[in-house]
Amino acid sequence: MAQSGGLCSVTLTVEGMTCGSCVQTIEQQIGGLSGVIHIEVSLEQKNATVIFDPASHSPESLADAIEDMGFESDVTNASPTT
Amino acid sequence: MATHEFFVDMTCEGCSGAVTRVLKKIDVKFDIDLPNKKVFIESDKDSDVLLETLKKTGKTVTYIGTK
Repeated sequence: MAQSGGLCSVTLTVEGMTCGSCVQTIEQQIGGLSGVIHIEVSLEQKNATVIFDPASHSPESLADAIEDMGFESDVTNASPTT
Repeated sequence: MATHEFFVDMTCEGCSGAVTRVLKKIDVKFDIDLPNKKVFIESDKDSDVLLETLKKTGKTVTYIGTK
């Protein structure tokens, strides 16, 4: 990711997804939040990679947003994109 | 106590599992009928409150009525 403006990237574990429609709802819901630039959810690896603006979100608030939807989520790594 | 009936567009166990988890958080008695995509909630809470909770899952939710 070669975007300036101090964007962050985080990988979150997501437990409880079993099919493509679970993946889609997460991508739509979280991807629709303001400050979320990009989200990629992997059903196989049970995780979500999110590119976001740290001014509007933290890795924890994103994990909370996923938990709110009814999935278990934890932060595995967070790093600022440079 | 009223039983509210909702249509929730669930396609798999993961979907119904997500519904289960959000409903557990608000502490209500409920029943999920996955093949018919229905959720029955036994609660004194306002149907709008329940609707909002179900919508958190990001699925299409429609309030059908009380049973």
